[in-house]
Amino acid sequence: MDLIIFTLAVLDGLAYASQVFMVAVGMTLIFGVMRILNIAHGGFYAIGAYLSAGIGLAIASAGLSPWLHLPALVIGAAMAGGVLGLVIERFVLRYIYVKEEVLQLLVTFAIFMILEDVQRLVFGVQPYAASSLVDAMGTINVLGIPYNAYQVLLLPGVAVLTLVGLRWFLHHTLLGHLITATAEDREAATAMGVNANRVFLLTFTIGTVLAALGGAFAAPTTAVQLGMGADMIVLSFAVVVTAGLGQVEGAAVTAVLIGLGRSFAIYLMPELDVLMPYFIMMLVLLVRPNGLFGTVQTRKI
Amino acid sequence: MLRFEGINARIQGVPVLRDVDFTLEPGATVALIGRNGAGKTTTLRTVMGFIAPDSGSLYLGDRCIDDIPAHARPGLGIGYAPEDRRLFSAFNVRENILLPARAARVAPEEIRRRLDGVYEILPELRDMAERPGGTVSGGQGKMVALGRALMIGTRVVLLDEPFQGLAPALANRYAEALRTLRERDRDITLVITESNPALLRQFADRTLVIERGEVSEGSLERSHADAATQEEIS
Repeated sequence: MDLIIFTLAVLDGLAYASQVFMVAVGMTLIFGVMRILNIAHGGFYAIGAYLSAGIGLAIASAGLSPWLHLPALVIGAAMAGGVLGLVIERFVLRYIYVKEEVLQLLVTFAIFMILEDVQRLVFGVQPYAASSLVDAMGTINVLGIPYNAYQVLLLPGVAVLTLVGLRWFLHHTLLGHLITATAEDREAATAMGVNANRVFLLTFTIGTVLAALGGAFAAPTTAVQLGMGADMIVLSFAVVVTAGLGQVEGAAVTAVLIGLGRSFAIYLMPELDVLMPYFIMMLVLLVRPNGLFGTVQTRKI
Repeated sequence: MLRFEGINARIQGVPVLRDVDFTLEPGATVALIGRNGAGKTTTLRTVMGFIAPDSGSLYLGDRCIDDIPAHARPGLGIGYAPEDRRLFSAFNVRENILLPARAARVAPEEIRRRLDGVYEILPELRDMAERPGGTVSGGQGKMVALGRALMIGTRVVLLDEPFQGLAPALANRYAEALRTLRERDRDITLVITESNPALLRQFADRTLVIERGEVSEGSLERSHADAATQEEIS
């Protein structure tokens, strides 16, 4: 295989991995702390994407600088994800923590379906494309290959920043310590004075904000359309399970692994494109049933 | 300082505490003696708010704490060292010790002052401070759990079977730490559960015996004799 295809596959894979990571990291954090597999997560991703595309198109039609799209998408997605996260945790999820796993799955799946219909209602069924920000950022040369800067710099940059920021938050702040303690042993944390309800609210909201941001950053590179949330939830679930449930750093490594696997498949064996992530997941789980970074523990699902 | 008033509690329908009534004075060192399954841990867990009584009331000082949720109770000055230690492996020993004080938003100077106090009672914790919580041995873990309980337990400290599984040398060390604590602080109400009362004879000034969920005033000698009989039978 020649160097050009190799380089392209690596760049595509990293950009793709960055998008998946933003969703997977919130999903794994929520599972790690709250022990809930949150199917609704794909819905937050899609909402973020739609919102970002809408904002991008509005900025373009108003004749404003496409660079405005960048701060606008961050603020818009963070606010939408934040509000949705707070409301859904506080008024729905809080009542199902003590229920069976099957019910929890059904409830988060129901939330996902409702979010999809909300998208249909608000944005209609036609796809949106708002790529003026990608065009405005231009291209840079990577080993002689022109590649758009948005995907080669911005997306991985955002993902790395998210990972580093989240690690710092969890390891070096009081709130992060309260989350870590609750994730490890909820009752012991409560006996030490940690308010698990508040920790759950905070964790879930961080997760939804990250997913919405993931969608918002993905929007300029792709056509935003119905079904993108469902695709993403399956894919990020593959990442989360391959890494080991609850593994934040593991999700980053696995996202890169699956992103690269998929982009190499696209260039070398296009017929395996869709299959590749699950093929990797299957191989990993055959050898390590708890995932690459997972430890043996009693799992609920 | 701590008062049980007619408390009845059940776990999954089975009565575990029956009309429990007692008052512990500030500065008392109380041994709560009973066999396995008698309700010792349940009594402590009730104080921590993990078991909601069917009837009766719980007082800390003059304040009824029935409606105070579990997570807010340590902040009232109740420290708890569970029998199985429950250290957090994600934190090092010092972070484990500091957690309850930080969770209760105790002021940094006060946290430093309390930590120094803990290190004076348990100097070995200073040497272990940087070690990950998951790597300390069971006996050391009991020391860490004691230090952690002392960080927040300014009024009441509950120790669940602290001597269980301790090697004799460590058990002596633990007892010595408790005596130091008693000398330094005459106001904390100390409740220690134990199935082998002989270990507590040195410093408990009051003994409560719990049997099938019923608490009665007891003497160490008598309950010790009971325990000895029990051992002979089993």
